[in-house]
Amino acid sequence: MTTPALDIQNLTVYYGAIQALQGINITVYPGEVVTLIGANGAGKSTTLRAISRIVKARSGQIRYDGRDLTALRADEVVRAGIAHVPEGRRVLARLSVADNLFLGAYTRNDRAEIQHDLEEMFRRFPRLAERRAQLAGTLSGGEQQMLAIARALMSRPRLLLLDEPSLGLAPIIVREIFEIIRNLNSTGVTILLVEQNAQLALQNAHRGYVLEAGSITITGEAKALAGDERVKKAYLG
Amino acid sequence: MAEFITTYGFLIVSMVFAAMLALSLYLPLMTGQLSLASPGFYALGGYIAAVMSTKVFPPTPQGEIFPLVYLLIEMLVAAVASALLAVLIGIPALRLRGIYLALATIAFVEVVRVLSLNLEITGKAIGIFGIPQPFLNKFEYMWIAAPMLILSTWFVYRLERSRVGRAFAALREDELAATAMGVNPTYNKVLSFTMGAVLAGVVGAVSAHFLNTWNARQGTFDAAILYLAFVIIGGSRTYLGPVLGGLLLTALPEVLRALAGVEFLPAFVAQFLVDGRLIIYGLLIALATIFFPQGLITPTMLKRLARRGT
Repeated sequence: MTTPALDIQNLTVYYGAIQALQGINITVYPGEVVTLIGANGAGKSTTLRAISRIVKARSGQIRYDGRDLTALRADEVVRAGIAHVPEGRRVLARLSVADNLFLGAYTRNDRAEIQHDLEEMFRRFPRLAERRAQLAGTLSGGEQQMLAIARALMSRPRLLLLDEPSLGLAPIIVREIFEIIRNLNSTGVTILLVEQNAQLALQNAHRGYVLEAGSITITGEAKALAGDERVKKAYLG
Repeated sequence: MAEFITTYGFLIVSMVFAAMLALSLYLPLMTGQLSLASPGFYALGGYIAAVMSTKVFPPTPQGEIFPLVYLLIEMLVAAVASALLAVLIGIPALRLRGIYLALATIAFVEVVRVLSLNLEITGKAIGIFGIPQPFLNKFEYMWIAAPMLILSTWFVYRLERSRVGRAFAALREDELAATAMGVNPTYNKVLSFTMGAVLAGVVGAVSAHFLNTWNARQGTFDAAILYLAFVIIGGSRTYLGPVLGGLLLTALPEVLRALAGVEFLPAFVAQFLVDGRLIIYGLLIALATIFFPQGLITPTMLKRLARRGT
């Protein structure tokens, strides 16, 4: 098999004395959509935050393209080609849509290319183009999610970390967002997707991991997981 | 005109200094850091100028003015010293957030004050007297104060529209999101803190000459609160807010005094306008936070003005 794009080995993370991740292993291959499902507080967001170095790992390895990310700073992780769309979108409410996008390209220095990518984002997300000078806080939830994704794409990532993109959105908007995610994947972006909506996540992923109280309990092909009795009982209802 | 200048020259230059000191507090605020350290750097800059002009540079011959070049050298030394000290203090202090950072910076201001009260070189409680004058009268300080204000305002204006300024704004809005985008929080916070420190230090250097004397009463905690009031009332979300706040609020006592001189005003009202200015100050701060919670000048207002202009 090909070498993994992302390879997490025995990752542990603590918040003070509380252990959030108890030594997890996750592998993501290039071009895959891998989803991480689990209940609230299972450690899904923590896993993404550990990858993008927003929280520190206590032990274990996170290898990406052969480099150990645990030795890098958050900005070096972005430069290495990983973009993180945080939970709850976290667009910068009092900055304009265009400024939010420019900030997504903060680690890049090629001005002309950034401008080109900005226009590309507006082509891909016409609703953002209409609102480019508007403050991000005035956008609807779905538009904010699009902005958050577009902002992450501005760093030209090869691996996209998506944290709960469906959170708080109407079903029709959620469908639209997942359409975007599938399109992105088809252009070659590898995706690690965290979702509470397990059904939706498994429908859109190649493989999945189930995280429970900081440990991976089940893993497999997305289709197999969707048919797994334990998963059905706990997350699909 | 000449009479106006002799009467108000001192006030006008003070207003310009105040505007810059407000900007020096606004700079760290651009990354969301409430720092009250400006008076500490202001005091430091002032002592550097006071010591250099009275002890290091050759005494100015009788009847001649202090060479401007020396003043510029003092400003440069003050800027470098403030920057070094700011980086040194900023790296540990900016790990603190919100009120804790404010408290730490107040402590810094106090340390500077107590040190200057006790050190030989700062003249202990007496301070340093007879700081030579590079200008013939107080109003002529505008030759240096006005370009400084224009330059620093222009600098902050440009900064807000630059890549670095956007990173500052991102940190102010949401540190986690900013970090996820690759904005280094420590680096940018220390940078904004240092910029504010340099501005305060340079203003202090000029101010020492302007005031002729420098002592531990310059740059105290009260001053920090005053600068904060400039920023809050003027507007804390755009570079023009602190500039306007500093200018207006520094002029306020004189405006009140002028108002008190209006004929037919009952004596007690006139008395209150003159002696009660601190009460009026406090009232204004309270009223401004109720009626202008974002300050007098807001980014939306500027945008609207710009649109009407084009």
